Amino acid sequence: MSRDRDDSRGRPGWAAEAAARSQLREVEPLPTILLDGVSKVYRDPMTLKPFTAVDGVSLSLEPGEIFGLLGPNGAGKTSTIKMILGLTRPTRGTIRLEGRDPQDPTARRRLGYLPENPCFYDHLTAEEYLGLVGSLFSIEPRTVRRRAEALLERLGLRVHGRKALRRFSKGMTQRLGLCQALLNEPAVLVLDEPMSGLDPIGRADVKHILREERARGATILMTSHVLAETEPLCDRVAILHRGRVLEMGSVKAILESDVLEWEITTDALPDQRMSLLREAGHRVDSVGSRWVVRVLDAGALQGILRTLTEERVFIRSVEPRRESLEEYFVRVLEADGVGTASGRESGGRS
Amino acid sequence: MSRVIAIARNTLREVVRERVVLILALFGLALVIASQALSPLALGEGRKVVIDFGLAGSSILATLLTVFLGSSLLHKELERRTVYAILAKPIRREEFLVGKFLGLWFTTSMLLISMAGILAAVVTVAYGATPWSVFGAVGLSVMELSIVTAVVVLFSSFTTPALTAFFAIAAVVSGHFAEDLRYFASQGAPVGVQALAEAVYWTLPHLGVFNARGLVAHGIAVEPERLGFAFAYGALYAGGIVILAGTIFRRREFR
Ligand SMILES: Nc1ncnc2c1ncn2[C@@H]1O[C@H](COP(=O)(O)OP(=O)(O)OP(=O)(O)O)[C@@H](O)[C@H]1O
Ligand SMILES: [Mg+2]
Repeated sequence: MSRDRDDSRGRPGWAAEAAARSQLREVEPLPTILLDGVSKVYRDPMTLKPFTAVDGVSLSLEPGEIFGLLGPNGAGKTSTIKMILGLTRPTRGTIRLEGRDPQDPTARRRLGYLPENPCFYDHLTAEEYLGLVGSLFSIEPRTVRRRAEALLERLGLRVHGRKALRRFSKGMTQRLGLCQALLNEPAVLVLDEPMSGLDPIGRADVKHILREERARGATILMTSHVLAETEPLCDRVAILHRGRVLEMGSVKAILESDVLEWEITTDALPDQRMSLLREAGHRVDSVGSRWVVRVLDAGALQGILRTLTEERVFIRSVEPRRESLEEYFVRVLEADGVGTASGRESGGRS
Repeated sequence: MSRVIAIARNTLREVVRERVVLILALFGLALVIASQALSPLALGEGRKVVIDFGLAGSSILATLLTVFLGSSLLHKELERRTVYAILAKPIRREEFLVGKFLGLWFTTSMLLISMAGILAAVVTVAYGATPWSVFGAVGLSVMELSIVTAVVVLFSSFTTPALTAFFAIAAVVSGHFAEDLRYFASQGAPVGVQALAEAVYWTLPHLGVFNARGLVAHGIAVEPERLGFAFAYGALYAGGIVILAGTIFRRREFR
């Protein structure tokens, strides 16, 4: 490499070449967030009984993506996030923020963080709080004021800028949480349940903002269990359960895998045909004045369509139905041995 | 440094916006005025009594306020988890703790100085001469407060508010009696006890160093050497305690 540089020094244009090379080096992406075999073991302060909340998680966020960390309650999402921010230390494994240890304050300079159920100082107003955050980032006061104003506007808090935070509703606090996370124009955003406590308009706003931030070049790590919200937003997801990553991949690849079933919608269906279809194991439901036949495999589909056409049944539509992220999530968890909803809720395990 | 100041400023705001502070400030004012009302009982020693009483009262008040506010200062942040968003910013935990310390110290010192100002004004009006030496005594009290604040911050970095208040008050009280403790131990106690008393004597803050009220009440100014020594001692002791607190706080896990 150094040899190469020496050679080029004699030629004209070596400077331009060197510049190009150094630019290349800059563009070369550094993984923004890197987790390597990270585990977190909590100990009960009384009995000292260990409890593994995060169990060997490895992740690498690619620059400019929205990554969803999904999992049922108690899966270990918040525990993972807290380690990424250096609020707790991993029991095993390493974490790097743009190549640095999260305990190093400079690692957090280009980072924005929204805690789960955030809580800010009661005695401050929204503007004062953003002022405080600005000085922690050593941003010039004038810039802080300008950005704070724009952010409050963007999150619909403009009229509440001078209101004491103790008078803020849950949703307003959540919005302010996003403001403070965005104040330093972060390269990396870590959001723990950004949609929680927000009304539908708020959730739409947040989705819009996250897309804007991605377009600006930010890398986003978010947790959620509202999968319908996550599906259209995330580029990649990991499903965490009992502290372990069960599945990881791009949302597209997960959802475009197999067609789950085909739905044939007809205007009318002779009784005899209906019972025959049911006997053959297909689901037939009446939906309003229409009938919906659900067929599991494509081979059977062809035969059914043929007979229906022969019987002059009017076919309104034939649609493939793919798995939603939610269904995928439930299926993956069930495969891991969680049957009931209550089992997931409690998150209890020992 | 700007980050430390930002935290200190926020702590100041938090404390000042608590209603307790206002109430205590009014109480201090009432105390100074009441001591003036009591002076006829002192048979011509009125001025002396008012100054002594006023200085002692404001110093105790400021100490109690420090313990009271300081013991819940960190705990509240951890309990309500306001600290999560703050410590995820590019700030060291030690900086955060020093900011808390400075904010609290500054607030109680301001309160103390204003009470002394009012005291001086009351005495000036009543006796026709301004007791300037009061401010020397207040300077010492402010340094004493730095130690009290540091001790409170130290305990609050790892225990509950109740325990913090208990330990801090114990440290302050025994700190005032450090000399006596050593004296009693030297009077024929077993060697083991003597050694222990000696160790405790050197660990406890020597708060007697900061008490010049007797002198000031008699109109004697605090000597510059004494002020200098007290300032150096206060700064070293408080600094050491804050560093220890920072080390503990850095290792702490947030639930
Ligand atoms: N400080 C702690 N001490 C002991 N156990 C803890 C602690 N924090 C979390 N846990 C346990 O670790 C597990 C994971 O918790 P965590 O908060 O990471 O879950 P989560 O995925 O964020 O859940 P949710 O969706 O409900 O927010 C839970 O079983 C929880 O009881
Ligand atoms: Mg959580």
